[in-house]
Amino acid sequence: MKNMRKMVSLVLTAAMTAGLMTGMGALTASADSERTKITALLKGTESTEQFQTFDYLLKNFCDEKGLDYEIELVNDMQDYFTKLQMYINSDTLPDIFGCPNGTLSAACKDIDALVDVGAELERNGYADKLNGAIRDFLTDADDGNLYLFPQGLYCEYFMYRKDIFEDAGITDAPTTWEEFEEDCQKIADLGEIPVIVGGSDAWQLMRYLSFSPWRVTGPEFIQGYQAGTDSFSENESAKYAVNLLSDLGTKGYFEPGFASVDFTSACNLFFGGTGAIFYTGSGQISLAEEMYDNGELGFFPVPDTEGMDNMATNVPIHAGFAEGFNKATYDDTMQEFFDYMCENFSDACYNQAHVFSPFNEDSLPEGLPQLYYDTQPMFEDAETAWTSWDDKLDSDVMTKIVDEQQKLAQGITTPDEFIETCDSFIK
Amino acid sequence: MQKAFGKKSVIFMFLFPAFLIYTAFVIVSIVWAGYYSFFDWSGVGEKIFVGFKNYVELLTQDTVFRSTVWHTIVYTIINVAIQVFGGLLFAVLLSRIKRGRVALQTLYYIPVVISSVAICQIFTKLFSVTPIGIVNQILSFINPSFKFMEWISNPQISLYVTAFVEAYKYLGLYMVIFYAALIGVPDELGEAALIDGAAVWQEYLYVKIPYIKPVIIANCLLVLNGSLRSFEFSYLLTHGGPGNASELMTTYMYKQAFSSMKYGYGSAVAIMIVIICMVVGLLFRKFSGEGEDE
Repeated sequence: MKNMRKMVSLVLTAAMTAGLMTGMGALTASADSERTKITALLKGTESTEQFQTFDYLLKNFCDEKGLDYEIELVNDMQDYFTKLQMYINSDTLPDIFGCPNGTLSAACKDIDALVDVGAELERNGYADKLNGAIRDFLTDADDGNLYLFPQGLYCEYFMYRKDIFEDAGITDAPTTWEEFEEDCQKIADLGEIPVIVGGSDAWQLMRYLSFSPWRVTGPEFIQGYQAGTDSFSENESAKYAVNLLSDLGTKGYFEPGFASVDFTSACNLFFGGTGAIFYTGSGQISLAEEMYDNGELGFFPVPDTEGMDNMATNVPIHAGFAEGFNKATYDDTMQEFFDYMCENFSDACYNQAHVFSPFNEDSLPEGLPQLYYDTQPMFEDAETAWTSWDDKLDSDVMTKIVDEQQKLAQGITTPDEFIETCDSFIK
Repeated sequence: MQKAFGKKSVIFMFLFPAFLIYTAFVIVSIVWAGYYSFFDWSGVGEKIFVGFKNYVELLTQDTVFRSTVWHTIVYTIINVAIQVFGGLLFAVLLSRIKRGRVALQTLYYIPVVISSVAICQIFTKLFSVTPIGIVNQILSFINPSFKFMEWISNPQISLYVTAFVEAYKYLGLYMVIFYAALIGVPDELGEAALIDGAAVWQEYLYVKIPYIKPVIIANCLLVLNGSLRSFEFSYLLTHGGPGNASELMTTYMYKQAFSSMKYGYGSAVAIMIVIICMVVGLLFRKFSGEGEDE
């Protein structure tokens, strides 16, 4: 009986070992043999732009070439970063991966995992077509090269309700922040909510902190702050922005309970008919389309900071999340896909993802919502990109500022306390 | 069969896989976290050995961590009060009724099986200010100023609201456990008390509740353990905010490790959580008399 048991356990052990060996063998074989699949890791869901663009491009390309493709989606930002970090640490990045320009792209560069997208665009002749501001947004801060491919072209602006503006006696959209606050007061006096903001999403409040330094100094303030050569207390435009956010929050210009409203809910509120002004952009054209076509909505760019020199570009332009191409797996097939992608990217942007293409086309395709045609002149020739604080700031400092900005907007801390605290983050 | 269970080798065979898995997933993780806590590491790139620097900073300079410890204690007290004592009260009341008891029991148990994410979403909508949620709408009938009462985004009460939501979810679970314990109390004990002239509340206070004391202690320990490690309610409802108003030790650890990308520092916070949990657990066992038989 004992011998029998031993025999059974030996057989089971052998079977398990054989199974493991087979699995390992299969893995090795797939690595050595010719490519049969393209893999991608993207942030979002099946309804987000990045997926829609790449699913469309990969499907068509792979159908043509007889390949498979697999897109791994992670919706939550932190989960996505964790996953990407795991891939970077283990050097097992997929062929294509969503990656912001900053710490993570630098980490990819450190392990030599990024294809020089700029060189590839030069090779296939698409470099000149790439929008200048988009190139500026994605250019690597260390060596000036372009390692990431844009997700699309996003421009941001304020949308306002024409009827509320009219009732409040506001004839022109505000051009300075002073006018903006005056208009907010007039709207509040009517009993309407002046500004809708998704205050639980860090970037929404951070925009109000970044507008003034961006218009006055471009990327200089935030780069200087991170490097320890500039500070909130020393920079007038930064101080101005701190006071602006404090004013908007504490004077009741934001909707009640704004700190617990996320961006999606804020979109639903504004496009559902609540509030007079909302900071939004080309990513929400599909939501604004109907109201805009009915003449209910207007738009205006980021106001000037009065008493200071403001740069000409007043519409934040960025490239979204961006994609990197894994250098280790960038073979002839992937190069072929890259060329195919450039050729069809505008089509995918306009018809699948409903965002602006990062490539400057001679004219926009016909049949798009009117907002595309009306907003495009604002950024057509722009060469200066939006300065995203998330990319420029160290993650730790960024996290701390996110906590502090919410306290500032809610009046838990004063502008002076905010400035002192935030300046202490950089030692 | 009975003979086989008496054999040490058979017992070992059953216990070993669980021990192996526990070691692999818990002990090894703690050891690794302890190892990482001695480094300055962003999660990618080079790890720099810094010795006890992370712990020194955490214990001497980090005021946010100190506040998260306090928040976690308050959070735990609220949860123990509502889940254990609320659950006990509900169980007592349930044991007093006959008609509709099963329906009520099921109703109270429903939140336990609903996912935390869904519960948080429901409460976000209930407590919403813009657009006005049901809670504020109802309260505004009492006093119109309650219409704009902020629950989740008010730094004065966001921690209590978060604790309440978690307590609401699990109250039903402990109610069921207490109910099962209460109906297990021998009838003759209660009857004897009543014959001796005890009122119903005295029957519970002096007979039934002391009888189920081990269950109460076990439940306290479970809630204590769960609350000290609680993460999802604070993270999903308030993100630990506004500012750090409802930040718990666990959400702070997550933010340090994954938002601030300070894996080393985040690991030091994790180790501190383990230590605090162990100390609180041991103190509780000491004061409750648990483990005296061992």
